[in-house]
Amino acid sequence: MISYLSKLSKLQFSDDEIKTVADDMTHIMDIMDTIKEIDVTYDALADNKNVYLNDLREDKSAPSMPTELILKNATNSENCFVVPKVIE
Amino acid sequence: MDITQLKIHELRKMLDEKEISSVELTNEYLKKIDCFDEKIQSFITVTKEFALENAKNAQSLIDSKNADPLCGIPIAIKDNICTENIKTTCSSKILENFIPTYNATVINKLKNENFVLMGKVSLDEFAMGGSTQTSAFAKTKNPFDLSKVPGGSSGGSAACVSAGFCAASLGSDTGGSIRQPAAFCGVTGLKPTYGRVSRYGLVAFASSLDQIGPIARSAHDCGTILNAIAGWDTMDGTSSKENTMDFTSKIGQDIKSMKIAVPKEFFAEGIDEEIRNTVLKSVEFYKSLGAEIIECSMPSLKYAISAYYLISSAEASSNLSRFDGIKYGYRSTQGDNYNELIINSRSEGFGMEVKRRILLGNYALSSGYYDAYYGKALALKQKIIAEYNEIFKTCDVIITPTTPSTAFGIDENISDPVKMYQADICTVTVNIASLPAISTTCGYDKNGMPIGMSIIGKKFDEATIIQVADAFEKQFNAISPNLA
Repeated sequence: MISYLSKLSKLQFSDDEIKTVADDMTHIMDIMDTIKEIDVTYDALADNKNVYLNDLREDKSAPSMPTELILKNATNSENCFVVPKVIE
Repeated sequence: MDITQLKIHELRKMLDEKEISSVELTNEYLKKIDCFDEKIQSFITVTKEFALENAKNAQSLIDSKNADPLCGIPIAIKDNICTENIKTTCSSKILENFIPTYNATVINKLKNENFVLMGKVSLDEFAMGGSTQTSAFAKTKNPFDLSKVPGGSSGGSAACVSAGFCAASLGSDTGGSIRQPAAFCGVTGLKPTYGRVSRYGLVAFASSLDQIGPIARSAHDCGTILNAIAGWDTMDGTSSKENTMDFTSKIGQDIKSMKIAVPKEFFAEGIDEEIRNTVLKSVEFYKSLGAEIIECSMPSLKYAISAYYLISSAEASSNLSRFDGIKYGYRSTQGDNYNELIINSRSEGFGMEVKRRILLGNYALSSGYYDAYYGKALALKQKIIAEYNEIFKTCDVIITPTTPSTAFGIDENISDPVKMYQADICTVTVNIASLPAISTTCGYDKNGMPIGMSIIGKKFDEATIIQVADAFEKQFNAISPNLA
């Protein structure tokens, strides 16, 4: 299970870490499982009442953040994000 | 008189009456930080030159009698709130060198009042924790006892106010992260109603629960800061259009005839006896003022921890997927292809507690488990909201302890995530139900550690909980920690 979740989470653990993480997750799931005791059903319609579509911003163009600022915190070259080769 | 322990409204008077300048006041705090923060470790970044420049600008407005309530007042900011050109780390290696190119809305709102930005204070990594010991940079200590935690996740925000390093601070609260450290450090912390304050520029942990709020030396000061930061924001679709008001306007009004509910489950087994007795004694104080005390019940409380951790971790696993080492943040030097680079950057950049929450969140959302965990947690959220609505039909505010124990030892619970999660029992339902709550100190335990009492209000009724907390604070003799 941990290796499946690690894959979903884009994380990896050393062999030593996996044992600790598996133990921790087992204990954490013991508490989470208490939720199974109670008989309640989620009413999605009730939550939708809180969504106010009229409050959405008008679809108007506005200035964006300049590219040089967007790239300031990234490894970049020629105004682009740099990534390892994607296509073999 | 120790000027570093004065409240904002007292400082305002001194500044306006020219008893002290904003630069002198800022220097007083900076001196104290220099002397004592090596021990407390509340700050990740002290913006000394910027603060003095802010103070100088503020002073010219004070001199021309154009000072807003926070003009020239030194305030520290939790390091998960973006500050333009000032490092914002979230206490995580993955954002160690991240310098935002924009200000969070709350920073711009404080700037409109010409506050003095003292620096960025520590937190549990990505605001996930209750001890500030998961910070990758500053594992903050409790100013009342250096062997104890300041609480968390806004441990730096609470400790720096308690220690007298600034007049107030901003924190963020997802499951108690303003109220619990405020209780542990003997200060006042306000978690506003969800949507009351814009979250634009707050690094997201659990978007349906996160809320920015103040930590200060009094409920009155919290109200003054909320006045500055509240309001609808076009940059946050979840911010509310509900009218703002002067949140200090009810201070001093009569408590007589107010109805105060006390839910029995919050005083049951698992709550330290000294805390139970001290909070109940505070309830008696309100009774003596003429308030009516109503016993009530919240049967779903025992499931609240699971509901909270499932919802918050599910949202965190999604929110934290943006950290890939490509667009910003830590990038691993290992990895021959795109996928490996992302996995290595995340695995080397995140700490263990953050990884646990991402795993839990992905588990709760994954195929085959979604209905049993995440769906059930959402159903419980609705049940908890219904239970609060029922209580508020007959009362104005609810009083509970803020924490089941006072501040624990640095090494006591940290390695046991289950114990850490269970310690959030008194605070998480407020976030689940989107309510406002304030924690104020109501006593001290046998070791001299502060005890916090929470006052929970109806949605958007921050003014009443500030009024109720202020009535207690006015007759309570709060103690400042001795740092020497």
